[in-house]
Amino acid sequence: MHQSVKRKKIVAFIYRWGLTLMVAGIILVPLYWIFISSVTPKGSLFKTPINYFPRNMTVKNYVDLFENVGIAQMTFNTLFITFFSLLVSVILGGAAAYAFARFEVFKSVSWSFKLLLFSALIPPIVTARPLYDFMKSVHLVDTYFGLIILYSSSLLPFSVLILHNFVKQIPLSLEEAAQVDGAGFIRILFTIYFPLMRPAIATISIINFIQCLNEFFTPLFFSYKIKVLSVGITLIPRQSNFEVPWDLISSMGWLIILPIVIFVLIFEKNIMEGITAGGVKQ
Amino acid sequence: MKALLVKPPKKFLIAWLLILPVLIVRGFTIIYPIIMTFINSFFDINMFKGGVAKFVGLKNYIDIFSDSKVISSLHFTITFTVVSMIFHVVLGILLALLLNMKFKGKKLLRTITLIPWAMPMIVTGLAAQWAFNDDYGFVNDLIRRIFPYFHFDWLTHPESARIAVILVDLWKDVPFFAILVLASLQFIPEEIYESAKIDGAGVIKSFFSITLPLIMRTILTLCIFFTMWRIVSYDIVYAMTTGGPGDSTSLLAYRIAIEAFTNLNIGYSSAIAVCLFIVMIIISSLSFLAIRKHD
Repeated sequence: MHQSVKRKKIVAFIYRWGLTLMVAGIILVPLYWIFISSVTPKGSLFKTPINYFPRNMTVKNYVDLFENVGIAQMTFNTLFITFFSLLVSVILGGAAAYAFARFEVFKSVSWSFKLLLFSALIPPIVTARPLYDFMKSVHLVDTYFGLIILYSSSLLPFSVLILHNFVKQIPLSLEEAAQVDGAGFIRILFTIYFPLMRPAIATISIINFIQCLNEFFTPLFFSYKIKVLSVGITLIPRQSNFEVPWDLISSMGWLIILPIVIFVLIFEKNIMEGITAGGVKQ
Repeated sequence: MKALLVKPPKKFLIAWLLILPVLIVRGFTIIYPIIMTFINSFFDINMFKGGVAKFVGLKNYIDIFSDSKVISSLHFTITFTVVSMIFHVVLGILLALLLNMKFKGKKLLRTITLIPWAMPMIVTGLAAQWAFNDDYGFVNDLIRRIFPYFHFDWLTHPESARIAVILVDLWKDVPFFAILVLASLQFIPEEIYESAKIDGAGVIKSFFSITLPLIMRTILTLCIFFTMWRIVSYDIVYAMTTGGPGDSTSLLAYRIAIEAFTNLNIGYSSAIAVCLFIVMIIISSLSFLAIRKHD
């Protein structure tokens, strides 16, 4: 009896760790392959079989990225647009979330909320062409301002939804006390609600940050001169359709992936909270 | 609400003052363009022919049915969505069950699982393009470790290119699906399993009679969103195959973008876009009805 229990435990142990290693392998080994490709000298990169433990590593590809591809400017553009998009989506989204949560007695307000959530289901490809013509007519194509507006717009529905759910949990009594003290709604919003919303703001900003880094469709069609990282990696020159400049793509890919991996390691808990709050609960 | 001391008309004004910026931004970037797409779909607008709009009624819509490129895109979009979703559900649930087990490596595994979701699809797709290369790719290299003489160029054959696109889609999004399923698994109290165990139910039986019914609603809801995302996928084929070989992997969203931005056939691309949108609305409302019935 005792022995069979022990055996069962060992089987369970092997089974769990075996599966864990398999899943981890499927996810991490390709990333490792991208990494070793990026530090393999070009001469030995286009060789078969792949050497998974290259002896003479090189950072030449990375130097190339800074000198010839202009990755520093792309990184700046990406972070600049991301930063302001997060700011705009938090401020506008937070204010709207407060109004949607507290003034839903008004039919027009609650209907606007539904319209906002519905608009999130409209895929960008359906709106792309007229939006492009509109942005062009107001001279916002290929401007930071235009990109920030478009990025923020795509962040807003999710941000408003999460913040709205959060505001609903804040007791009204706090606000009433402030009103008795004669505080106006702007002061109430900025001195009571925004500080209280901090954890929710952190969560959505972390997720929105990843969203902005991954954004591809918008910068691809709405900017030419202002290049962000996700579009930049597709612009590395190629000899032909079938040749991939894998030396530069692997190193640039890894430069994009690494901060994201670190970011996920640090904020795992917040990310879990955020995506499950937005994804499952309705 | 009564407790608020501000007078109703003023309250109404404040509410609108606060939501107006969001509505203006969304209005100009989403609502206005989708109305324009709808209107444009009834006109013949081709930038190569000067871009003068000419009303043609339903002609663009009728043309869709005889356009072999759109039909082949539609065909692949359906295959891609259905096959990918089946594997999403099966593999996603299995992975979620693994993530839900209580053992030491659990937290690390969850973190690893988040990585594919957080990566840009464009980087994944470009890496995949090279990974499926015949001579230097990572996939064939692994296969050659077992079958030394294996040679196959995945992305130059229509069927294998399609399989490759679906595999990459699964690599990127099944972990995300699993994490969302995991969230609902965590709501199931431990005691239910304990009592099932006492009643003599095995692991498989307790999964089908306890777990699955309890997470069914979540899975259906997830399926709606994941299906929508598959139907409008764009980045993956842009990066991996640019729709090829031929047009064998050009998903509908990719086809629309080509018509709208490369062929500059704006009226026609709008008609395809409207069809795509209507299909999405039909699928999502049917699914939501199904969920309501399930409840």
